[in-house]
Amino acid sequence: MRNITFTLNGEKVTVETTLSRRLLDVIRIDLGLTGTKEGCGEGECGACQVYLDGKIVNSCLVPMSNVIGREVQTIEGFAKTKAYEKIEKAYIEEGAVQCGFCTPGMVMATNALLKDNAHPNSKEIKESLAGNICRCTGYQTIFKAVKKIADEEEK
Amino acid sequence: MLNHIRPKNVTELLEALDKQYYHVFAGGTDLMIRKRQWQGAERKFDKDIAFISHLDELNGIEETTDSYIIKTLVTQAEMTKSDILPEYLKTPFSQMANIAIRNIATVGGNVVNAATVGDSIPVLMALDAKLVLKNIYGERTLEIDEFIQGKYKTVKKDNEILEKIIIPKVEFDGYRYKKLGQRKAGILSKLSIFIVYKKDNDDLTDIRIAIGAVNEIPIRLKEEEKKLIETKDINRYLDKLSSAINSKDDNRSTKNYREQISKRLVRKYLEEIMQGGI
Ligand SMILES: Cc1cc2nc3c(=O)[nH]c(=O)nc-3n(C[C@H](O)[C@H](O)[C@H](O)COP(=O)(O)OP(=O)(O)OC[C@H]3O[C@@H](n4cnc5c(N)ncnc54)[C@H](O)[C@@H]3O)c2cc1C
Ligand code: FES
Ligand code: FES
Repeated sequence: MRNITFTLNGEKVTVETTLSRRLLDVIRIDLGLTGTKEGCGEGECGACQVYLDGKIVNSCLVPMSNVIGREVQTIEGFAKTKAYEKIEKAYIEEGAVQCGFCTPGMVMATNALLKDNAHPNSKEIKESLAGNICRCTGYQTIFKAVKKIADEEEK
Repeated sequence: MLNHIRPKNVTELLEALDKQYYHVFAGGTDLMIRKRQWQGAERKFDKDIAFISHLDELNGIEETTDSYIIKTLVTQAEMTKSDILPEYLKTPFSQMANIAIRNIATVGGNVVNAATVGDSIPVLMALDAKLVLKNIYGERTLEIDEFIQGKYKTVKKDNEILEKIIIPKVEFDGYRYKKLGQRKAGILSKLSIFIVYKKDNDDLTDIRIAIGAVNEIPIRLKEEEKKLIETKDINRYLDKLSSAINSKDDNRSTKNYREQISKRLVRKYLEEIMQGGI
């Protein structure tokens, strides 16, 4: 066990844990932020996605050693931003949420895409969300929601 | 009790590796999964681990007059976004896994892991890449095909790390890359084909063809590439390719499927390339 310090949603936090513990477990169990979900636990489903120094990663694959001194943003932190509001609105309008388990990860992945590419085409949207599995919606409503934001940006 | 370490620099890492066995941990996209446990439980690592992803000395892409130098910790995402690297090198990395994985998976990890489905390996083989391995006593430079001995098998010693990959610069006139898997992205290859070539007017002067995920080690037939340039005989090349395929059926695909599809795609690309297209 050792003290590990990093920035979480803009605030410095220190947790007593091990180098090999998963970031996902520290976020959910030690720090009680449960917006980040665990689906597959092996990098396939995207339910656990967070930003690490601004880049989207699967927190189920990241050991705490790789988080020391770095910045983590979870869905709870992202939900306080303007970019989030736009995505939330589009998801609601297009009915892109059913059970909601994939949604935090899907929203994080949507923002990661739009930050890089404000006007993605359908192919780019599909490719960018390829790391996010949804068991409910069949994806079409999600793709539509993302397309809607992309098209609105254009106006 | 396991003793995981996070060395301050490369020298400290190499000293530690020389004293006892540590499993080197870079991005962890292979290692975390191999040690999969139930939800919320500590990963069940059974060996001491040396974490290296924070070591800046092992990170960065550089170029010299004749080579590209890729340090081991460069991620797949950094490969695809590089201003230095040519398209033929960026494209295969842009098709690996998905964005979130590419942000943490390292090039070095993909090579050292030496999986049959490691998509960087055929590409690096076709480009005659060299690997620099380092231990506390010094370094050695190996061709990638000397380094990889089989599925998950390399000649790396326990006290060595991969430091960097050296890729000779060649002004190719064109390339082809095709990866077949079950889904668009994020899926292990059933088969991948990488071709780079040079032409003088319409005449083929250099061609390298590597086929990944079929045999345990990617297939590259250097002698047959030379014959292909001399004779332009595509059928002969494809026959040699057939004899080189020795894969077994597995849960990714069958041998027959792989053989038929590889030959069909390679034929298509070679015909395009030789008929004067780019
Ligand atoms: C969902 C998912 C999809 C994937 N899709 C693909 C794909 O499409 N194509 C593909 O090729 N791979 C794919 N992979 C596999 C994986 O992402 C790669 O193999 C990755 O490049 C490994 O790098 P890493 O840094 O994560 O390795 P790690 O897990 O950290 O290490 C892998 C191995 O290499 C060793 N190692 C790493 N760096 C060094 C070093 N510098 N010196 C000595 N030893 C070292 C480690 O000890 C370990 O044995 C996928 C993985 C996941 C989870
Ligand atoms: S829980 Fe991390 S990708 Fe599925
Ligand atoms: S809404 Fe249920 S998994 Fe996506």
